Amino acid sequence: MLKIIASYFFIVFGLAALWVSTSRSVIKCLLEKRDNNEWWGVNQLIHGDLASISHLDYLNKFSLPTHSTLKRANYTGPKNTTLFIHGDSYLYKVQDSIFAGISSFHFTGWNNQYHYHLDSSKRNVLIIEVAERLVRNYYGTTEILDELCDTTITKKNISSLSKPIISEIKYSSLFFCTDPMSIFNKNINQNLEYNLFNYNFMMPLFGCKAAINYYLFSRASGDVVISKDKHFLFYKETVSFTLPGSSFSPLSDDEITHLVSNFNIIHDYYKATGFKEIYLSIIPSTVTIMQPEGYNNLIPRIQNDKRLKMKIIDAWSVFKKSKELLFFPGDTHWNNTGKQIWVDMVNEQLTKE
Amino acid sequence: MTFNSLQFLVFFMVVTLWFFRLKSQKGRVWLLLIASCYFYMSFIPEYILILGGTIIVDYFAGLLIEKNEAGKRKFWLVISLIANIGTLAVFKYYNFFIDNIHTGFLFFGKPLSLPLLKMALPIGLSFHTFQAMSYTIEVYRKKQAAERNFVVYALYVMFYPQLVAGPIERPQNVLPQLKEFRPYNWDNVKEGMARMLWGFFKKVVIADRLAMVVERTYGHTHESSSLALFTGAVFYSFQIYCDFSGYSDIAIGAAKVMNIRLMENFNMPYLSRSISEFWSRWHISLSSWFRDYLYIPLGGNRKGEWRRKLNVFIVFLLSGLWHGANWTFVAWGLLHGLLVIILTRKGKQQPDSKANLATAARIVVNFLLVTFLWIFFRSENIGAAWVYIKEIFAFRGGSNYVGVNRAELIFSVLVIAIMMYREKFLPVHFISKNSLFYLFTFCMVLICYFFGVFAENQFIYFQF
Repeated sequence: MLKIIASYFFIVFGLAALWVSTSRSVIKCLLEKRDNNEWWGVNQLIHGDLASISHLDYLNKFSLPTHSTLKRANYTGPKNTTLFIHGDSYLYKVQDSIFAGISSFHFTGWNNQYHYHLDSSKRNVLIIEVAERLVRNYYGTTEILDELCDTTITKKNISSLSKPIISEIKYSSLFFCTDPMSIFNKNINQNLEYNLFNYNFMMPLFGCKAAINYYLFSRASGDVVISKDKHFLFYKETVSFTLPGSSFSPLSDDEITHLVSNFNIIHDYYKATGFKEIYLSIIPSTVTIMQPEGYNNLIPRIQNDKRLKMKIIDAWSVFKKSKELLFFPGDTHWNNTGKQIWVDMVNEQLTKE
Repeated sequence: MTFNSLQFLVFFMVVTLWFFRLKSQKGRVWLLLIASCYFYMSFIPEYILILGGTIIVDYFAGLLIEKNEAGKRKFWLVISLIANIGTLAVFKYYNFFIDNIHTGFLFFGKPLSLPLLKMALPIGLSFHTFQAMSYTIEVYRKKQAAERNFVVYALYVMFYPQLVAGPIERPQNVLPQLKEFRPYNWDNVKEGMARMLWGFFKKVVIADRLAMVVERTYGHTHESSSLALFTGAVFYSFQIYCDFSGYSDIAIGAAKVMNIRLMENFNMPYLSRSISEFWSRWHISLSSWFRDYLYIPLGGNRKGEWRRKLNVFIVFLLSGLWHGANWTFVAWGLLHGLLVIILTRKGKQQPDSKANLATAARIVVNFLLVTFLWIFFRSENIGAAWVYIKEIFAFRGGSNYVGVNRAELIFSVLVIAIMMYREKFLPVHFISKNSLFYLFTFCMVLICYFFGVFAENQFIYFQF
């Protein structure tokens, strides 16, 4: 009898685990509820995403150092600019107070429908910010036009623009929830791991595996790679020789042409919907700056392409010359020093007459 | 859904427990079919339509072959073969064919631009089409009655443990088992689970660890020393073995848990003393498929020495092509075929397997031959394979770094040795004592977790 009850329990438990791990809304809810220090919670990003994924944070390796806060914009001129940023986690939770000369600020990211309607009395500026590792995946198509679009027009109907007003701000972005499909959710394994094993009380076990890999085999677990100088963690995808997110995988001229062509289509659409200026800003991967031997030059090849119509906010050129530490040692993202440099470059464009 | 994923472990737990809670075979067959559909659709959902299409054609072809006499039987067999081979031709070989036409026309200075198919190869296409073909051929030969129950037939093709990478089953083995209600059997559960754990060990502890070395050496051919390249080549031999036989172990074990016995697919192939012996131990379900449905119908060794050689050549050419639409696979198959033709003569029997120095030397030489041929299999193109081999024989220095540190290199060799020892001397997976079984399970789970490389690597043979 006990065996029968147990078997039914595990059937229901398994089905529930599969369902929960494919449900975007449930995972979103769990991520919010479980972001704590309780035994059932999980501090996913507190020490840096890569240090957490590889559990090296448990060994006190590559943890986030304390870093400066972003400066509020000190600009006294007219505030007549509406700033739209279509970005990613590099600008997660960015505050409007850091941008100069803006009257309003709107941020959206991938997998979020964002409908706008522009106020033509303002200077409307759009910045398309994208992490280097996502450029080929995201801009191999022009899907952005389906997500960030004018409420009154379609891609095919860009000439019939009407009177603009600005829509409501909508914040975006979620870790783990990038695929909205239901039962065939491609993130199901990450989500299952999160639901079944990622608990604070399990951390010692993960720490043991991380210790074996780090001390015995001199490497990190999972999708994380330790830099040659042992000071940084890199996301494996960015150092692979085959994956499109890599700074080292082959990149043909045809692919550059294709990407530039897509950026131009995107530029023309947003220009036609009323944006005065459209900027492209590709944020270099940590490995591109810290360990550049063999770099496929994705960023300079796009930015320097004469056919590209978008204006550029060139973080790559500035970062590679900088002597400062611009990235977190155990995180895929820049630190606030890096972010501040980028914000200053943006503000320079925003305050230009 | 790969076997080495959490999704599979949860899926397997649910399906197996549910399977044993059902009291009728009809219910079990439906459950397994629905589970198999979900398993297949978790890769690319739309491709179920391709698989479903061939299942419908073959199901009716089987019935019509059985119902009709002589000429019409052949007609329906041909229809079934055209449907299956046609599916393979379109989805697997069309782009390869068109690419080569383009290259040919370009060579003669007349560029041509024919449309290419822009879709990924359906997972495991070669496996399930071959399994489906074996059914209609066996019905045609009157060695198997046509299956009237569509759900049972669909499950024969789609049974999830062997759906995407075999073993390529025969209807006589699987169909009767799918129709018979078999009660829960703890011994089978233990044996199946132990075998699955062994398969996981081979995949995550050995194959995916060796993959780090292989990726490094094949990605840095020009910078690596000859020794590093040779190490990469040898490791690839073990990587592909542990990857594929690990998959087969999990498949056979998962089926065994549900009281279904699948055919063996490997028998210590690297202990072979010749290439032909290697092929009787490597991917047995495929080599026996080619033997039964191609080599013997072509005349086998019954029509003289030259005809035998031609038949061997054809079988290995097609075996190479079966693996993939790339000249590297064709070259790999042809080279194996040539070695079999050159090194084997009709009627010549292998000498007795005595554990002496000469036997050991033959095993080593044969292993090295197989290893060098794997270079063609692994490389992006023939040129890259040729460069890799040339660089090995250049006996030059350079970076000895193979993608892992010395401790991990030694660990890799150690686990390969443990795997070989266990498969040679302790080949049985059944553990009679419950306490020993629990201990084995506990240890294997710990080893797989602490020493496994979890990078969601797909099984190599999924691409075929």
